[in-house]
Amino acid sequence: MSYGDTIPLHPSSQSDIDEIENLINAGAHSATVLPARAPSPSRASIPVSHSPFPLPPYQKMPPSSSPTPVVSSVPAAAATTTTAPGGSSRIGISTDALESPPDTLTEPVFDTVKRDLTRIVSNLKLVVFPNPYREDPGRALRDWDLWGPFFFIVFLGLTLSWSASVKKSEVFAVAFAILAAGAIILTLNVLLLGGHIIFFQSLSLLGYCLFPLAVGALVCMLEGNVIIKIVVVSMTLAWSCWAAYPFISTAVNPRRKALALYPVFLMYISVGFFIIAID
Amino acid sequence: MDPVQPAGENYANPKTCLFHVLFKAAALAFYILSAIFIDSFVIIFVVTVFLAALDFWVVKNVSGRILVGLRWWNEIDEQGESVWKFECLDQESLARMNKKDSWLFWWTLYLTAVAWIFLGIFSLIRFQADYLLVVGVCLSLSIANIVGFTKCRKDAKKQIQQFATQTIASHFTSSLQSAFSVV
Repeated sequence: MSYGDTIPLHPSSQSDIDEIENLINAGAHSATVLPARAPSPSRASIPVSHSPFPLPPYQKMPPSSSPTPVVSSVPAAAATTTTAPGGSSRIGISTDALESPPDTLTEPVFDTVKRDLTRIVSNLKLVVFPNPYREDPGRALRDWDLWGPFFFIVFLGLTLSWSASVKKSEVFAVAFAILAAGAIILTLNVLLLGGHIIFFQSLSLLGYCLFPLAVGALVCMLEGNVIIKIVVVSMTLAWSCWAAYPFISTAVNPRRKALALYPVFLMYISVGFFIIAID
Repeated sequence: MDPVQPAGENYANPKTCLFHVLFKAAALAFYILSAIFIDSFVIIFVVTVFLAALDFWVVKNVSGRILVGLRWWNEIDEQGESVWKFECLDQESLARMNKKDSWLFWWTLYLTAVAWIFLGIFSLIRFQADYLLVVGVCLSLSIANIVGFTKCRKDAKKQIQQFATQTIASHFTSSLQSAFSVV
């Protein structure tokens, strides 16, 4: 079941809410208790292991030990809030289990940090290194995040700026602006060619594919010889292009593959030249 | 940026409130003061954007959860469609949230965005495109958080309404059934 792009907003008036809250406080305590929603498990692991049903984010009403007329209407009502039938397996929470179940709303901060860091590493491995999931590119970057690209773009900019002997600030600003604006424009290009790709997923992908070039820039910063720089940059450039190829090419119509791929390669090649030319 | 609150309850989570405000204030302060002390644009850019990104993460993942019990994120489902997910605590916990905490949360969110807009206007007037870049990045991060949490709050209110409607409906049904069973 798909929700569409955004959750539709309902007009809500304050007086209605007050009235309703009074009603809740007055009568509803005996009937049901709403637990906080547990998150979809695909968030914590590599997207291959998807849950068999998409867990709804909404609160659900458990058909707990309450008067029977309520129970008969509650599952029907719960079904209309797009609850998947398998979701009833989670409903073991009765009215007296008021301690919050483990979920992302109440987890300790350290868990959140760890989860995000793991996600960055796993995304990097999926995009840049050979792995079996490259066959199905749409699934690979399911858990996109923009932290990895952010770090890589800043790192690349810093490295280029460090290598430059003059106009360091401008080099950094230009590098950052080109990479960020370039990623956005390339994504728009794919979308305008009628490709099926999510905006942020594509931004994330293009950012992660900068990782080889960032490594190449680091090596070039430490190594002065032009020949070695050219060799290193061409290798990392080829690696970047190889990493980006499957995702972009499967996103568009096969006849327009070259139209989508050419700007990506062009951007990476120009970044490569930038790295070589910096002295 | 510290609000003066009317007497009553105190902050329930002072440490979280502190962190919520800390990175925002640090980013703004660094940006404003750096123009006086630091010459290198690179340092200003990297430090300000890093602080703003850190603040974005803290607000989205930590203070949003703890201060107002809301959370939002984006997922891509099986069909490859992008889905915005919103999550909120159950009604009891939401009602138990500290008023001061949520006041601080929402006001600092809005005030930071307004402050960045002002700074952006300044740098526009001075024709400094580099600084406009910094302001642009920080502003987009603030706005992303504002939009996400506002949608999440509206969603939570909608769920209150839905739940209440269904409770009313179920009570109505049960009273009808008991009325008919008597007859």
